[in-house]
Amino acid sequence: MSVDVAELNSETSSGLGLGAAKRSVTVAVAGNPNSGKSTLINALAGTRLHVGNWPGVTVEKKEALFSFDGKEVKLVDLPGTYSLSPYTQEEIIARDYLVHERPDVIINVVDATNLERNLYLTVQLMELGIPMVMALNIYDEAEQKGYRIDVKAMEQMLGMTIIPTVATKKVGLQDLLDAALEAAADPARRPKELRYGEDLEAAAAAVEKAVIGAHHGLVERYPKRWLAFKITEGDERVLSEVNLGGIDAIVKHATAHLAEVHESDMETLMADARYAQAAGLTREVLRKPESKKKELTEKIDRIVLNRFLGIPIFLAAMWLMFKLTFDVSTPFVDWIDAMTAGPFKRWMEVLLGFVGASDWMVSLATDGVIAGVGFVLVFVPVIFAMMFFITFLEGSGYMARAAFVMDRAMHAMGLHGKSFIPMLLGFGCNVPAVYATRTLENQRDKALTALLIPLMSCGARLPVYVVFIGVFFSAYAGTVLWSLYVMGIALAVLMGIIFKRTLFKGDAPMFIMELPPYRMPSFRSLMIHTWEKGKHFLIKAGTYILAVSILVWFLLNLPWGVEQRKDSYLGRMGQVIAPVLEPLGFGTWEAASSLVSGLIAKEIVVGTMGEIYVPKAEEEKKNIPTFAEDAKEVGTSFIGAIRDSAVNVVSGIGISSITAQESLNEQEERSPLREVIKDQFTPLSAYAFITFVLLYMPCVVVAIAMKQEFGTWKWFGIAFAYQMVLAWVVAFGIYQGGRLLGLS
Amino acid sequence: MNLAMLKPGEKGTITKMGALGPLKRRLMDMGLLVGEEVQVEKIAPLGDPIEVTIKNYQLSLRKREAEGIAVEVVK
Ligand SMILES: Nc1nc2c(ncn2[C@@H]2O[C@H](COP(=O)(O)OP(=O)(O)O)[C@@H](O)[C@H]2O)c(=O)[nH]1
Ligand SMILES: [Mg+2]
Repeated sequence: MSVDVAELNSETSSGLGLGAAKRSVTVAVAGNPNSGKSTLINALAGTRLHVGNWPGVTVEKKEALFSFDGKEVKLVDLPGTYSLSPYTQEEIIARDYLVHERPDVIINVVDATNLERNLYLTVQLMELGIPMVMALNIYDEAEQKGYRIDVKAMEQMLGMTIIPTVATKKVGLQDLLDAALEAAADPARRPKELRYGEDLEAAAAAVEKAVIGAHHGLVERYPKRWLAFKITEGDERVLSEVNLGGIDAIVKHATAHLAEVHESDMETLMADARYAQAAGLTREVLRKPESKKKELTEKIDRIVLNRFLGIPIFLAAMWLMFKLTFDVSTPFVDWIDAMTAGPFKRWMEVLLGFVGASDWMVSLATDGVIAGVGFVLVFVPVIFAMMFFITFLEGSGYMARAAFVMDRAMHAMGLHGKSFIPMLLGFGCNVPAVYATRTLENQRDKALTALLIPLMSCGARLPVYVVFIGVFFSAYAGTVLWSLYVMGIALAVLMGIIFKRTLFKGDAPMFIMELPPYRMPSFRSLMIHTWEKGKHFLIKAGTYILAVSILVWFLLNLPWGVEQRKDSYLGRMGQVIAPVLEPLGFGTWEAASSLVSGLIAKEIVVGTMGEIYVPKAEEEKKNIPTFAEDAKEVGTSFIGAIRDSAVNVVSGIGISSITAQESLNEQEERSPLREVIKDQFTPLSAYAFITFVLLYMPCVVVAIAMKQEFGTWKWFGIAFAYQMVLAWVVAFGIYQGGRLLGLS
Repeated sequence: MNLAMLKPGEKGTITKMGALGPLKRRLMDMGLLVGEEVQVEKIAPLGDPIEVTIKNYQLSLRKREAEGIAVEVVK
């Protein structure tokens, strides 16, 4: 039981009323999911928002610092919650923050079209005794429906200022901030203490007297009324935090009579009492028209959730999103790729030439740094596009429907309906897919989904398949390619079931999920969110990727003056690993080194093979373009990329460039490589090899994405380990099994 | 009779919350309380979960979660 000194200090300073004008004002924003909280925050803080994670957990934390009316305002976005129970991560974060950090004021965002359930949270927030104001949001829709809300009466009953707002149109937001700062300036202005009925009040009073009366220290750490009711309610988390001997007996004594009379437990009685307050308030202030006309959401859902149409519509929507994500971004990816490999690299060479840098420095700068930077940038368009669509799906309300439609299938493998979308994105690129697990609320669902994503065969693996299929299986290329995708999915199902029974034993998380009305997300909010995510990736992941890229350069080029790839560190690693791969049919140092380099990205396996297998002499000498030509090329090709991106959206046919076309070119370019591969592999060992590439480990960017999403390397570690074992076992089975069957 | 047994379009009054611990609390927090009226709207295309209307909004839950909620059918 430790008392945080800083907490006490902040308590005393606010207790003494030390000039609220001087201090910065901390404003916590709390509300139900789908109440428009994100939109409201984006509108208030815009690009000043800083997105991070709550310490130690995967829940997103948004904060913004800005000055308003001459005051420093610190805006903190609490996770969207329906209640303040001790059971979900979001609720624990929200309540711990409110109780222990004690913001100066709470802005409670309430959906005016769904008053009663939203007020259930309001009632709980009011127990905390922190100054509050309410944003009565989505007020436009409530008016449209003909709801009449008596705001004045509501203000009276709750003891707080209530501002009707339309977050999407920025209506009422200035007034809201004004009201919040005003409330914060006067800590004595607390919300009303709502009464929960004689019995409960008596029980809480008894608890208060017995527990809090005997331990004055508690009052410094907890709001008194809140604490009394939490103890009465039997809140696990508070009881274990407070950790007082004999408390159980006291609570039992105070509540036994109540529980007996009502034949119920205290948690239920409290929920009833709070909802009774919310219902009573709603009855007092809300007038609804009698009309029974069908609402838009209902009409749409009739089709979208229809027994027969539901799944086809869902699949069509997913196909569209997948295509948009990857088709919009691909031309930009190609452009970045071409630019960093071409003009930028040459400019750097020239520049370094001027300053008289030695060859190795030039190579480090171009093959290490520029290649690394290019590699980071390549992901940016995909991540931006993905974030945009995911945010759209969530904001519009369709994400919940997608989860509803798919849950049965995903639940079979221990996942949640919402896991489907990240898994699907995995076929394009595992990196945005891992970031997309953000839509899952539960830590277990998130982790399990992220663990299975690498089994979805991403676009970067295709070039490897294509080279080998081109050499050995060109007669039935489609079937072989298809077999790899299916194998990945089948193994994901299998691993999902295994993980469900082992690593994630215990109850599957609940599904209980609101199906919010369809709404149009605001473009501004979408853009802000997308930008924040993209920026976050660039800065955080970019640094790591760059470091790894440079590391690999060293692996390839050290020790100093290596002539033969075989003698470089990478080659030596290959030599060490090769015997382990022997039983899989490809136990050569060349194959092993190529696989090691695939840690960067699986497509690099082909590039490394090209370098290792094919003697240097065969590298062609190209005409080196002039600076002017280069500069022009940079510009025109960027315009070309925009055009291609637009064309892809409009035409919407075929999964275009990342994949097939490019791989075909690659295949032709590397014909010397094909000769060597023909020599070094048999059809059987080739199939074992591409299977191994499909399964063997997530690339480093996925690793970084997992670290970023989960705040720990743990999940990457587990993915790495199980995939290595899985890849080895499956490739072993294929190779040795095939040999037993007399294949070669 | 429990909530999972109602057909789309049918309404019931909750008579007992059978679930325990976090699940029960979550259901109650979402407004599923004894005495409330709840209507089953749809069943997902694959047969699970179900969509219900409670306290004037739409909620989905798996049948297993709905099984613990005893209801009395309202005509
Ligand atoms: N009509 C209307 N829609 C809104 C308003 N505020 C938010 N929305 C929409 O409601 C949906 C959910 O908003 P969001 O901010 O994502 O909710 P959150 O879950 O609380 O963060 C989005 O489509 C928003 O565009 C509002 O005041 N009026
Ligand atoms: Mg949100």
